[in-house]
Amino acid sequence: MAMTDWTIIRRSMTSRLFSTVTTVITVAIAVGLMLTLLSMRDSGRRAFERGSGNMHMLISNDSSPLVSVLNGIFYANAPARAITPARFAEIANSFPAEYAIPTQLGDRYMGLPVLATTREFFTKFSPNPDFKPGSAELGWKLAEGRIFEAPFEVVVGARAAREANVGIGDQLALTHGTGKEAHVHRDFLYKVVGILEPTGASHDRALFTDLTSSWIIHAYDRRKETNPDAGKPTEADLTDADKLITGIYARIATRPDMNISAMIPAQLAKLRADGNITVASPSTEIQSLFRIVGNIDQILIAMAAAVMVASSISIMLALYNSMEQRRRQIAVLRVLGCSRPRVFGLVVTESAIIGMLGGLAGFALAFIGTRVVAAVLKEKLGLVVEPIFDPRITFLVLVASLGLAALAGLIPAAVAYRTSVARNLRPTD
Amino acid sequence: MGDKTPSLEIHELKFKYPGSAPGAHWVVDVSALVLMPGEQALLTGASGRGKSTLLQIIAGLIEPNHGNVRIQGKDIHALGGAKRDLYRGSQIGMIFQNFNLLRGFSARENVLAALMFSDVPRKEHDARALELLQIVGIPTPERDVAELSIGQMQRVAVARAVATNPALVLADEPTASLDPENAGAAMDLIQSTCQKVGAALLCTSHDPSMADRFNRRESLDQLVTA
Repeated sequence: MAMTDWTIIRRSMTSRLFSTVTTVITVAIAVGLMLTLLSMRDSGRRAFERGSGNMHMLISNDSSPLVSVLNGIFYANAPARAITPARFAEIANSFPAEYAIPTQLGDRYMGLPVLATTREFFTKFSPNPDFKPGSAELGWKLAEGRIFEAPFEVVVGARAAREANVGIGDQLALTHGTGKEAHVHRDFLYKVVGILEPTGASHDRALFTDLTSSWIIHAYDRRKETNPDAGKPTEADLTDADKLITGIYARIATRPDMNISAMIPAQLAKLRADGNITVASPSTEIQSLFRIVGNIDQILIAMAAAVMVASSISIMLALYNSMEQRRRQIAVLRVLGCSRPRVFGLVVTESAIIGMLGGLAGFALAFIGTRVVAAVLKEKLGLVVEPIFDPRITFLVLVASLGLAALAGLIPAAVAYRTSVARNLRPTD
Repeated sequence: MGDKTPSLEIHELKFKYPGSAPGAHWVVDVSALVLMPGEQALLTGASGRGKSTLLQIIAGLIEPNHGNVRIQGKDIHALGGAKRDLYRGSQIGMIFQNFNLLRGFSARENVLAALMFSDVPRKEHDARALELLQIVGIPTPERDVAELSIGQMQRVAVARAVATNPALVLADEPTASLDPENAGAAMDLIQSTCQKVGAALLCTSHDPSMADRFNRRESLDQLVTA
């Protein structure tokens, strides 16, 4: 087989195997980091958008739409202000609603949020944005048991069940508030009747019960404050003052085959005209949230780019240092008829190949890395992130790593180009 | 071999290193030297007299200050960069005192490296390399040259020098690293191989025992311009 430029390049790389491998690893780490960050940024955004599911609006009394979304969908904190039943009815009747599901947050179980709501939460709302109410597909799925049917029954999200180690038939006492002010509703026990399948949304780490039982235990608390001997109220004893909610998951009526409606902007504007409520468009708020954190991921991506540049410098140093040992080889090649530009090309090509190998290894690293990060996010945050590599961005990153490596080869190539043949052919001993 | 064009023609060649004092002697000063195809000549001169430098000028690796060098009728210094390199690769073979083989490459690959930059068709490279290595007596062409004996390295260097069927082989003190016995064998090989391929041979040496091997002997001191 004839000798080619590739033979010379390959032999040069394998003769300095340790240096070549460590340089390729350095590039691979840089490219892997960059691709992981880019992939997780997009996948993470999709995962957050999944939390709002198929609702169009989240209505609350929170201080801002963003706070409303963080509290109402991502369970950041219990909302401070409530909505009365009369106000709920007024709001629900003020727009062509496909659903308006009342929700109440405030209680927790072992630190996990408890959302009190109605059965509509499971039949009409779904964390999947493509779910159409009434459809048999894309809705909630139960791993075990059933949805609550009576007061003091609870359905547990997949991750919450695992974290709290609860199963069907377990009896739970919920906690109200946090810190020193927290107290356990010891007089009321909830029975676990269902465990949900994972959805990949924030709801996986919540427990769900019916509103009536939540109203009863809070009404009991309030009555005990004024009368320590007060008995447990029943549903019939509840007044409008007891029937408070903290949020409304709402969806505007759409055509059967549509998921959005042209009426949404107008309805949002109409509802927002009422200054006493906060009307959030979850998708808009999530986008604005990502605009805020976008600066951080730009910094991270800039840092990854800096690491890529640093890895190119490591290629340059490795090749530059090897030039001292390769001067004689270059001089011999020149004597045999290899031109200066060809010597220059050999070194730049070697550098680019190191960049390309590093890029491909980096892609493999990113493939593994994103899955590790996704597993950690699922484990720690209950957020199901499906890493996807945008082919266009992946290609650009790989081309960038190859281009940077080729650039890094320019200085060693210039050294090779200028190698004095006469001086380097002299006997050394 | 009926070609009457000299393999090597040197005319009024002078060279001194850049930065030399204005009145310094020429490092190389050759009024005329002609080698016909197949002719073999020994170039003698004391150490430091400029023998190696002259060979590098002939190979087009160093620019002379004056005069010209023609290889197969072509002024090598008139050729620009890559063209000159290719011309050298195909028309001139070089053998060095320290062999200058490509370390980390096999004997076969060292010969192939010379063919790589020549106009010999690629498909013929491998067969030609193996044939030459057989001629010079290398039984293990796939062995790394670093694992070969000194004598074998010299043989590989000879095979490499004649691989492209050059018009001229320049041998720069080819036996200086060898003991007398090996030196004799190496010279036998160099001279017979050049004869076989029809290449002219210009061999430098300051070893007086080499003189008997060459019908034509040139001393650098006698080639000086008037």
